[in-house]
Amino acid sequence: MNATAAMGAAPPVLPGFEHVKRGWHNSYGAYAARILPGEYYVTRHDEGIYTTLGSCISACIRDRATGIGGMNHFMLPQTANEPQEWKATGLGAATRYGNFAMEHLINTVMKHGGRRENLEVKVFGGGRILENMTDVGQRNIAFVRDYLKAEGLKVTSEDVGEIYPRIVLYFPATGKVKVKRLRSLHANLIASQERKYVESIAEQPVAGEIELF
Amino acid sequence: MSPIPTPAALVQDIRGLVTLPDVYLRITTLVDAPDSSAADIAKAASQDPSFSARLLQVANSALYGFSGQIATVSRAVTVIGTSQIRHLALAMSVASSFAGLPNELVSMRNFWRHSLYCALIARRLAREARRADPDALFTAGLLHDIGALIVFNRLPAEATEALTRVLDSGDELPVHEAERQVLGYDHADVGGELARLWKLPPLIVDCVAHHHDIAAAQAHPRETALVHLANGLALMAEIGSLDPADVSPLDPRAWEITGLDEECLGPAVAEAQGGIEAAERLFGGGS
Repeated sequence: MNATAAMGAAPPVLPGFEHVKRGWHNSYGAYAARILPGEYYVTRHDEGIYTTLGSCISACIRDRATGIGGMNHFMLPQTANEPQEWKATGLGAATRYGNFAMEHLINTVMKHGGRRENLEVKVFGGGRILENMTDVGQRNIAFVRDYLKAEGLKVTSEDVGEIYPRIVLYFPATGKVKVKRLRSLHANLIASQERKYVESIAEQPVAGEIELF
Repeated sequence: MSPIPTPAALVQDIRGLVTLPDVYLRITTLVDAPDSSAADIAKAASQDPSFSARLLQVANSALYGFSGQIATVSRAVTVIGTSQIRHLALAMSVASSFAGLPNELVSMRNFWRHSLYCALIARRLAREARRADPDALFTAGLLHDIGALIVFNRLPAEATEALTRVLDSGDELPVHEAERQVLGYDHADVGGELARLWKLPPLIVDCVAHHHDIAAAQAHPRETALVHLANGLALMAEIGSLDPADVSPLDPRAWEITGLDEECLGPAVAEAQGGIEAAERLFGGGS
């Protein structure tokens, strides 16, 4: 993360993440991967990962000893069931997607050498970016907190809730995060990208092993 | 794919959808007429009862500091000033004029909130910079992005593509540059075209057309630089940041041209945040 670093070849990509779009960023002198709603990305190299968040959540998880880590981007689909359904300890259909997103990230970090006792967790998003929208952000925040608590993982840093869309840039090698609030001009587009993602997962069957990413 | 219409063609397209209200046109004609008096202008203003009522609200608001002492339209015209009334009439009507041009990309409330932040800050900066008309700058700030409403309404797919590029860049690509990539021009070009078609004062035309490219302002470079700064500070006020790095870059020449420096930033942002709700009630297009 040296601002004067010259652009070289992109760091090698871990298997399974070849489809993620990466590019060189002059402003911070590094490659960075751009993830979209429903995607995640894990790296063992000094590169950034960024995403834009409305009411979705991104968890940033890394092994603080080895620097391997990644970011996900998810939200729980809306269900007609009672609110208790989304507790992480419950068996609701909605939490299945949150659980998958969190498990995929944690498992991939561990598969590439991360150790559970070294995991450092940061959480972002869950904003209420449209005025006339029910506060699904709070529901996503509550889910990820419950999930991490149940897993015994402590959150070392977070920026959640409020009314702003956000852009989150994460460097797993150092654990450094930059969160930038975005102007409301971007709120409708971010909300519509997230809505399309939620509609796409709502069409998936809820039973059985399904690959969501 | 059909070719992208020019800014002039876009503006022609919306002629029937967005019009200036009669009261603004009447006042403008009078202000420009050499033999008209303040009484003539007050009479013209009084012919529109809803405009008169709002004019009294504005004159008695914190913006002018007469706190409830202005009881008549003629008194309002006298204390605010006849040429300032023209700018005020434009500011008071623009949000309702554009209500007929809806879009899917930004809510009118959010759009006008940014515009009002810019107006309040431009007005304050005009006072600090001196030799600038605060009322003209308020209106220029309020109108600076009107071209965006036209682009969003007429070219929604291209506008969405431009905003998508901004997000994909990690917010490093400024919105107006993304528009130039997609359209070949930006919202300031379109706004400037409308301002010329409407024969708005040349100061307003310059500020609207060149607030992202202040070197291009010919007649009113100082006012254009003030609106450029006010736009950046308005974004800071909106996201609650005092770090210029959090918004699209401020042109360093704008500080030189206006003689202002970064010390004005914090107080201007704070004042706008304190005044935004009252300003939304007066100018927000609710009526």
